[in-house]
Amino acid sequence: MALSKEHLLKVYEDMVLIRRFEEEVEVYAKNGTIPGFIHLSIGQEAAQAGVVDALKDTDYKFPDHRGHGAIVLSSKPEDRKKCMSEIFAKETGINGGRGGSMHVHDLSVRNMGFNGIQGSTMVTVLGTAFNSVYTGTDDVSVVFLGDGTLGEGACHESLNMAATWKLPVIYVLINNHYAISTHYTEAHPQPQLAQWADGYCVPNSTIDGNNIEEVIETTQEAIDRARKGEGPTLIEMMTYRWQGHFSGDPAAYRPDGELEAWMEKDPIKVSRETLQSKHGVSDKEIDAIHAKVEKEIEEYVKFSLESPDPKPEDAVKYVYTDREVEGR
Amino acid sequence: MARKISFSKAINEALHQEMEKDESVFIIGEDVAKMGGDFGITSGIWDKWPKRAYDTALSESAFMGLACGASVCGLRPVAELMFADFVTVCYDQLVNNAAKLNYMYQGEASAQFVVRAVTGGGIRCAYHHSQCIEPWLMNIPGLVIVAPATPYEAKGLLVSAIRNNNPVVFLEHKHLYNTKGEVPEELYEIPLYEADVVREGEHITMVAAMSMLDFARKAAAEMEKKGVSVEIINPRTIFPLDKETIKKSVAKTGRLIVVQEGPKVMGYGAEIGALVGEELFEYLRAPVKRVTSLDTPVPFAPGMEDYVLPHYEDVIKACNEVMAF
Repeated sequence: MALSKEHLLKVYEDMVLIRRFEEEVEVYAKNGTIPGFIHLSIGQEAAQAGVVDALKDTDYKFPDHRGHGAIVLSSKPEDRKKCMSEIFAKETGINGGRGGSMHVHDLSVRNMGFNGIQGSTMVTVLGTAFNSVYTGTDDVSVVFLGDGTLGEGACHESLNMAATWKLPVIYVLINNHYAISTHYTEAHPQPQLAQWADGYCVPNSTIDGNNIEEVIETTQEAIDRARKGEGPTLIEMMTYRWQGHFSGDPAAYRPDGELEAWMEKDPIKVSRETLQSKHGVSDKEIDAIHAKVEKEIEEYVKFSLESPDPKPEDAVKYVYTDREVEGR
Repeated sequence: MARKISFSKAINEALHQEMEKDESVFIIGEDVAKMGGDFGITSGIWDKWPKRAYDTALSESAFMGLACGASVCGLRPVAELMFADFVTVCYDQLVNNAAKLNYMYQGEASAQFVVRAVTGGGIRCAYHHSQCIEPWLMNIPGLVIVAPATPYEAKGLLVSAIRNNNPVVFLEHKHLYNTKGEVPEELYEIPLYEADVVREGEHITMVAAMSMLDFARKAAAEMEKKGVSVEIINPRTIFPLDKETIKKSVAKTGRLIVVQEGPKVMGYGAEIGALVGEELFEYLRAPVKRVTSLDTPVPFAPGMEDYVLPHYEDVIKACNEVMAF
């Protein structure tokens, strides 16, 4: 099932947006404007954009620590600049600057946020999925995880329970080949990690995570199954992160030529070729998309740079729901 | 209020009545549904509400994660840790997830669930079924640790814990399950974060939680005969502590003894001792004393376990020492 021209144009724009978003984040991380460390998903745009595209606003989303793309695309267009200012640690940030790159959430679109502990959201997702069953809605819950996350024990408990109770969970396993420096074949016995779900009787597949049409189609099937009460699915999306683990990691552990080979399979390039060869989209139309995105990104960056820092003393707010914590 | 029921029955009644009242409350854990819990605390719930009582695989991490996620959606899960010691295999969900969610969500949502955790020693079950776990959780801002000492408190504090919007670890000392006391039949709340002055006194402030309250009561009666009046404070909420009630008492008596079942190092006794040392130094007439377990794992053999757990004689010895100083 190929996407319509309009649909593919829409998700093409989504991918360009998150690529440019992250490129700008990297610039300001490297020049020291953004504190801390950040994890970039440049090269993995199709997996994030495709999955979010297949979901509705009321579906629960648990992005992973390399999840800027899923976060930005989940948010309402008017809130996207606040996702960036959150990463810039600003008061206008969607979480008031207290979360940063790894903890961007937006409950208005049921982006439940990431937890900096690998595997943690693998079991938290059971709760939102359980809530759908308990309250009788058809909202599904999607949790993103990486190949590295699969080494965590919580993954076992999660699939076991979700499969036994037929909870509406979609596990999006973005296999970008490396858990920091460790290749997935050095850490797991399965030739393809999706096979791991066989042990839990969870339907699974391994797909080309750089092909957004395949991502959307496979995710949609899983969503349909979950909405019908048929339980969880695990989808392994093969892709590659172009950067190191964090911005600034030279990634010397990768063999020569590997990155270049994957850059040839750039998800944006793949979609552009489809748009032009199959749908007759002109260079001019593509350029217009890029120009539109450029304008938006400029606005996000300007907003982030001009936003004030949060008040330090607000750090004591929201520790408890019903009591104050002493400040200095 | 003449009716007397057991500590375990008081908890069971709180659960039944609160579930009757609030459909968002459900129970989850190992053997809590059909069997009614390893200690029988959740009996009768599954029979009444089969869709609101869930037996899980031996997966503490999964059901604690489920409780976190479901509570953020507005439900009010009550999870049971069959033994508090098992908190180690779901520690991440409590410490790194539940305790941070209100902070992360800036008050828009929070992990409004209760973990009932069966704690404490004295039942000859050795070091994986006997520990006092509150120190493992006491320096995690965002968590609330509640520790009832009587059937009356068990019911009222559990009701408050379920209705509270923070993640609450509700410690049930297994030695208290069969103790009986007066408990109102109707639903009632006992406020969290407020210590109870169990007995007023002039000479010594004695802070004791859960089953240690029994030692404190006996010691107060014994010291009374010697003309020493002991003020007993039961913290009820171990974290965050009701510092004011403790400070007010120590400012009056000038002497502090903390009786704590767990090992001496870094327990609530250490925290209360430091609080008094920092803020009430000029009021102190004697050094702060702690009566605790030894700093060892809890051993199995009865003689060894009794050797390790706090001794009543040591409470009296501490009283005599602070009075003689």
